[in-house]
Amino acid sequence: MASPIPLRGRLRRYGTSYAMLLPFLALFAGFLLWPLANSLYLSFTKFDGVNPAVFNGVDNFVQLASDTRFRHALGNTALYVVGSVVLGTLLSLGLALAFNGSSWPHRIMRTLFFLPSVTSSIALMLMWKWVLYPSDVGLANTIVDWLGGQAVAWLATPGLTIPILVLMSVWGGMGYGMVLYVAGLGSIPEEYYEAAKIDGASAWRQFRHITLPLLRPVTTYVVVTGLIGAFQVFEAVYIVFSQGANTIGGVLDSGLMIVPYLYDQGFTHFRLGYASAIAWVLFLIIFVLSLVNLRVGRAMKEL
Amino acid sequence: MAVAPMDTIAPVQQSPHGTATGSRRSKINAHLLRLPFYLLALTMIAPFYWLLITVFKPPRELARTPPSFVPESPTFANFYDPEWSPAAINPGHLQGIFQRYQVDLGFWRFMLNSIFITTAITVGSLLICSLAAYVIAKHDIKGRRTIFLLIIASMMVPWQTTLIPNYVIMRNLGWLDSYAAYIVPALAKAFVLFFLVQFLQSIPNELIQAARVDGAGEWRIWWRIVLPLLRPALAAMSIFIVLAEWNNFLWPLIIVQSDEMANIPVALARLNSYFGGPDHQGAIMAGGLLASVPTIVFFLIFQKYFTKGIALSGIKG
Repeated sequence: MASPIPLRGRLRRYGTSYAMLLPFLALFAGFLLWPLANSLYLSFTKFDGVNPAVFNGVDNFVQLASDTRFRHALGNTALYVVGSVVLGTLLSLGLALAFNGSSWPHRIMRTLFFLPSVTSSIALMLMWKWVLYPSDVGLANTIVDWLGGQAVAWLATPGLTIPILVLMSVWGGMGYGMVLYVAGLGSIPEEYYEAAKIDGASAWRQFRHITLPLLRPVTTYVVVTGLIGAFQVFEAVYIVFSQGANTIGGVLDSGLMIVPYLYDQGFTHFRLGYASAIAWVLFLIIFVLSLVNLRVGRAMKEL
Repeated sequence: MAVAPMDTIAPVQQSPHGTATGSRRSKINAHLLRLPFYLLALTMIAPFYWLLITVFKPPRELARTPPSFVPESPTFANFYDPEWSPAAINPGHLQGIFQRYQVDLGFWRFMLNSIFITTAITVGSLLICSLAAYVIAKHDIKGRRTIFLLIIASMMVPWQTTLIPNYVIMRNLGWLDSYAAYIVPALAKAFVLFFLVQFLQSIPNELIQAARVDGAGEWRIWWRIVLPLLRPALAAMSIFIVLAEWNNFLWPLIIVQSDEMANIPVALARLNSYFGGPDHQGAIMAGGLLASVPTIVFFLIFQKYFTKGIALSGIKG
């Protein structure tokens, strides 16, 4: 394709455009594309960060498949992801339906539920750690005491780790989902409901046949971004459940998940090649989820 | 057909007795239905209240069972304890949050680090991304579709995938433990560019064409026309960026070595790993409160933009 404009003219015409694109593209290539390719390469090597990386084929991935800690981390992540996304989405929707008005009580309730989304996440985690303090000085155990129970070692009981992580995630995230749902509800034309009322549709039928279907794009967004976020959980495990400087994942690894394990292998044990393989497993999971998101999004548009 | 329903609606809506009592009953019903959510609201307040009272309890009160729900002898010692001295160990007195760090300015240092890093990344990334978005949305150059597609595709990459190579890059550049390591890799944000391109596409080309006819250069058009037009989009994006960077933890955790270079999350995490006892919780919570105040105030001021920005990103995305 020969361009009608001579080279010098094209340079003059497009030079500025490329110059304006350059800062973004240079940073994008330097700190995203190149590292991404590099992490793929590193995932096929043995690399301790000091000595040069040694190519060892698919060894890391073979090892991952039989790594009991990694399988444990995957299982924990799956439980956590399902629990937090299902509960979080249902509560977000419930809150939006309950408080979508413009009156001040509704606005106050919305602000209240949204508060964790704008609070420092580390502060929230430290707060939870203090609420769940093992002895009777903690808030949770004080309440247990009121109810006549024995103090619970919240953070040292393996069976409670995932439920607590789910609880913290839902508590912190439902306000954000609520805001999305409130916006979604606001975009449903009032006439639909009026028409349904005239036809004598009950509140439940209106919800079932108008509200829910029209909220589907919002639900897809809330669920998929929730899934993607949940797969990347780190702070909650690192701050609330790590015991001492060198163990991560809580008692008996009961809270070990993908990103904490990546950190553990990469920056505590300096197995950077192995950690890169974990990073690529995470990438593949999130890539598939994103594709599903696109697919569902496109399908919705065609409907 | 268009007129007919009118006669039928009127009687239905004005049925003499039923509606008045019915609506009162349905109002009560609506509140009953909300009851679980009011209880849920209590669980939202309780942990925050717990944090808030802890901050003002003296060490002795913190370690007592059962705990008090109103500080009995409120104190600011968890921020600054006038009776604490580094030389003598005096029981019942602990260092306040401002006395705990062996760096110049103490806790202020981390606040200033966080403010500087967050501001630099927000301003820098908005400038860089808006420049690129202007070209992609309004310039007819070769390869712009490919570039845009590549950038959109990159949004599917979890940033943790690039964590290790980026750490190695920082080390090789000698940037570990520097502001550059915080700021430079965080400037090219694909989702910001994507959002700005979408926003620009809804703005008519004529505005820009008119400026070109008047002889304005591309840089001038970007600065004087595109940026002002983008203001609402930039406001929405800055909220996302500020929140994310203020709370950024995993990346700083691996690039920061000295105490001086920590941002607030890293400083608090270190505090958390050094001190465990209940009498230290007052100072730890004081740090948490100080870490949260700026973003909460920011939110209360720009509340409208917050929720609008989230709604925009969710519905469009």
